[in-house]
Amino acid sequence: MIEIVNVSKIFKTGEKEIKALNNVSFKLEKGNIGALVGHNGAGKTTLLKILSTLIIPDNGDAYINGYSVTKQEKEVRKNIGIMMVSERAFYYRLSGFENLVFFGIIQGLSISEAKRTANELLDLVGLSEWKDMQYMKYSTGMQRKLALARALILNPPVILLDEPTLGMDVVSSRDFRSLIKRISKEKTVLLTSHNMKEVEDLADRIFVLKRGNLIAEGSKEEILAKLGKVKLVSVREVPKGFDKFVVGYDNGTYLLRVPETERVSGEVIKEEPPTLEDVFVYLMGEEIDSTRNRSRRGGWGRRAGL
Amino acid sequence: MVLNVLSWILPVFTYYFVGTSLGGNLVESIGVSNYTAFIVIGLAFQGYVSSTITTISQRLRNEQLYGTIEYYVLSSGGVVSFLIYSVLWGFVINTVNAAVTLSIGLILKVHYDVNLLATVIIIFLLLLSTIGFAMISTGFTMIVKQGNPISFFFSTFTTLMSGTVFPVTVLPTLVKDISLAIPLTWALNGLRLSMLYGEGIMQLLNIIEVLVLFNVVLLPLGIGFYSYSFKMARKKGTLSEY
Repeated sequence: MIEIVNVSKIFKTGEKEIKALNNVSFKLEKGNIGALVGHNGAGKTTLLKILSTLIIPDNGDAYINGYSVTKQEKEVRKNIGIMMVSERAFYYRLSGFENLVFFGIIQGLSISEAKRTANELLDLVGLSEWKDMQYMKYSTGMQRKLALARALILNPPVILLDEPTLGMDVVSSRDFRSLIKRISKEKTVLLTSHNMKEVEDLADRIFVLKRGNLIAEGSKEEILAKLGKVKLVSVREVPKGFDKFVVGYDNGTYLLRVPETERVSGEVIKEEPPTLEDVFVYLMGEEIDSTRNRSRRGGWGRRAGL
Repeated sequence: MVLNVLSWILPVFTYYFVGTSLGGNLVESIGVSNYTAFIVIGLAFQGYVSSTITTISQRLRNEQLYGTIEYYVLSSGGVVSFLIYSVLWGFVINTVNAAVTLSIGLILKVHYDVNLLATVIIIFLLLLSTIGFAMISTGFTMIVKQGNPISFFFSTFTTLMSGTVFPVTVLPTLVKDISLAIPLTWALNGLRLSMLYGEGIMQLLNIIEVLVLFNVVLLPLGIGFYSYSFKMARKKGTLSEY
């Protein structure tokens, strides 16, 4: 089980202070998969690193199976496996097998245990055939699978995954999701993701972070219910503040997906239930506007390939 | 490996020929009766300090670069395991270096009269003080993320200041005083006496006491600073930054 209680973290860079997390609290029960979603810089990775004891929070505390991340670091480390977003975190000249054995040994396994565990995990993640290949020759998907295998090396009850399918193709990504589902049966898994399809597929609980604040949490159904329905509206001009709802452009008209409660003058093409992506766009608000305004210089048509 | 061995052997021959060309009288005038024996002991053990310290700092930088440092922090042995693996590797390599250098000394007709117990004790105390310095040096690397003054000092100045290839008595007074604040200076002095003249613990007691004193200061300081630097990095979220 993961429990986070009023966790705050501020990073200082020179004179500037960045509030990475602000009084974040939530709970994720055993056997559940939780997904942390939010814009870039929302505080997702910081929170995972606090849970894994790699970053010390300024205020508050978090508990992994009852162990405090600020006071019982050693116990916490025995109870977690973490897959970080970095693809560099292996020794490039060693094979996948040798890498796993090495990390098993520094985790406290004997050489024979580390070898046996490495073989079992390589089999579990589907890398047995390539176990003797140098890590530098692994594809992105294989690298991510090896990183997952490393997170499982001590068979910990809590698994933390930072953007687990980042950079993977559609098929590898689907395989990887089913792998996460398989391993999560008896464990608590908390992952971060920008991929709403992944979140829909995997998450029992969703936690939405915005500028370090937890702005929504709940099951998929509960999160979707926040928006009611969405309407597809065709407009000639995008109203101010509605950039984030643009999903297409064709022949002088913009296509918007807006919550039913929003007033927009244009032709309503249809109404339908929202997707998680709709809710995410709605909840992120100006965070998405600022990102999209930067990328809009080339025009929506060009961006959408229209 | 071949290049490594060459880098150990060549300095021995370089200084051997320097000593030979200067002549026995000049060398004796600075208080050294057998210059070849003097430099063989100096070069054999100087590497323990300089290369171990620079190896560990460099290793930390590499692990940050690979992105693996965070996994060491999470490992069962924590950051201490990282230090131990690095130190052991440095010591193994430098023991081979010392053995090769001392063997070259035999070829150059150096006569060893070794008091094993005293020699082992002095090497042990030297290694402990080196670990203290290595911890301080690694702590600097973790905090400043770039140029490391401790590592630079040991890789550059120890040969000059610790009596490796000439006695510290020829140094200007101020530099000589600084050299006495380096454990290697004392250890080399003791090792020459225990390995070339067979002097035992009782005769070398003052040197051993000074080395123990260094360790009493350096080890707690090193452990404290090393732990502090990793804690600071965890507070700032900069563990893997380089």
